[in-house]
Amino acid sequence: MSGAILIIDSVAKAFGGNKVLQDVSFDVQPGEIVGLLGPNGSGKSTLLNTITGFESIDRGAISHEGRRIDQLPAHRIVRSGVARTFQLPSMPTRMSVIEVAMAAATGHHGLWETLVGTPAVRRSEQAARERAQMLIEQLLLGHARDLPASALSGGQKKLLGIVCALMPNPRLLMLDEPTAGVHPNLRQDIVAALKRLNEQGMTLVIVEHDMHFIRSVCTRCVVLDRGHIVASCAADELASNERVLQAYLGTGAATTSASKPSMETA
Amino acid sequence: MFDFLVSSLTVAGIYGLMALALNLQAGYAGLLNFGHIAFAGLGAYATGIVIQSGGSPWTGAALGVALAMALGWGVARLGRKLASDYWGIATLAIAEILRTVATNEGWLTGGANGISGLPSLFDAWQRPWNAMGFLALVLGVLAIAALATSRLANGRFGRALRLMREEPSLATCMGYDLRSLKSRAIVASAALTALAGSLYAHYMSFVGPDYMLASETFLLWTMVMIGGLGNTAGVLVGVLLVQAAYALVPFAKDYFHFSSDLAGALRLGLIGAILLVCLMWRSEGLVPEKLRRIA
Repeated sequence: MSGAILIIDSVAKAFGGNKVLQDVSFDVQPGEIVGLLGPNGSGKSTLLNTITGFESIDRGAISHEGRRIDQLPAHRIVRSGVARTFQLPSMPTRMSVIEVAMAAATGHHGLWETLVGTPAVRRSEQAARERAQMLIEQLLLGHARDLPASALSGGQKKLLGIVCALMPNPRLLMLDEPTAGVHPNLRQDIVAALKRLNEQGMTLVIVEHDMHFIRSVCTRCVVLDRGHIVASCAADELASNERVLQAYLGTGAATTSASKPSMETA
Repeated sequence: MFDFLVSSLTVAGIYGLMALALNLQAGYAGLLNFGHIAFAGLGAYATGIVIQSGGSPWTGAALGVALAMALGWGVARLGRKLASDYWGIATLAIAEILRTVATNEGWLTGGANGISGLPSLFDAWQRPWNAMGFLALVLGVLAIAALATSRLANGRFGRALRLMREEPSLATCMGYDLRSLKSRAIVASAALTALAGSLYAHYMSFVGPDYMLASETFLLWTMVMIGGLGNTAGVLVGVLLVQAAYALVPFAKDYFHFSSDLAGALRLGLIGAILLVCLMWRSEGLVPEKLRRIA
């Protein structure tokens, strides 16, 4: 698996006595769309936080494109090409939607560069504005461009979070429940946008509960339960995987539940 | 009356510089610096000590700016371990320590008596042109500082600061190093404040430990908050308003015939009352920060 873009190797994380991740290992290959599933409290968000440097790990290793990233601060991981979104994004009140998006552009200008405003700075500012405008329109926020970012609805904030994550054109994008709370019509657009990005070469890891979404987007699913990985299989195989059913429905569920499990609402 | 006006405006201009610098930290970066006046104190004392030992005003100002930047860097490093409110208390403590040092290390600072007899920068000019010259210098520096800070705030650096102020984890997600952003904001602010302190020392021909009283920092905070945190024009309005209130008290004293002690207390009370009214009526300030239009 040397070609993997992301390698999670025996990662463990505990908060106090609560072992949230225990010996979690899996790889993500370039070009994959991996769905990360599991019941509430299974450790999905913590895993996302450890990969992106928002939480440290107690044991194990995380590598991105062959480089260890588990000791790096979060901002360095982002700069190495890993972007993420938040489950419940909160947005600033005194910045407009487009300004928030522009802030996510690469090429951070320092104090002097901003002060002097060299031609290079002006060009990159122009490029940031154009890219932000394009992405905002792609994710259907064009009409809200000049509104305070905090005035957006929960679903729209998620979209803006995706816009921000896409601004630096990352090679690996991690999304934390991108469609929860988003209008169904908009979900189709998000699905289409994510597929398009994937075709252009972006690798995606998506934490999600919605099975329609997972079936239509993910090429592979990794299922977590109480800090362990219990399955890694295609989305279609989930329903027939005994350990997955146990994780969602409890012990014995695999034998007693109907042929169609109720994971749609899980 | 003319002299009084020129003098009030000059002092307002110098406070304006300090307030703009505080706005860089407090308004844009959201840093609760309660020891801001320490930077001005360093600027003023460096000027006093350098000139006393025969150096030029340029050397004094440069040394003050360098020392304040070093202190700013140190204060920023302190913030790595502390939550923002505790950091604010730490900055207050640092300013108080510096004031105590200035009061007690008489061999260097002149102790409680301070250092007097500093030359005003335009001594060679005739009255009233010397005062006018100084005012022009202060207003010139103020105009440059106002343009520079608002340019910084609107550009990408300021955008990062403002995002950090409101949504630090989102800023981290975008690859911003928050520690470095904070350090740079504090160091830049320290430099500007020290320059203002140096000008103040020249203008008053004197440096003393009272320059570093905590109430001075709160006076600056009052100016920034009345005017509007995060808005250059607002900060300048706040400075003018507070300075006008300060300047009016002596007239009121003559008119109503009350004692000098009462006048001093009245000044502080008046500032407190203005701040209170502002917080109740317009907590975001008289000229609040607006969304920046991106064409």
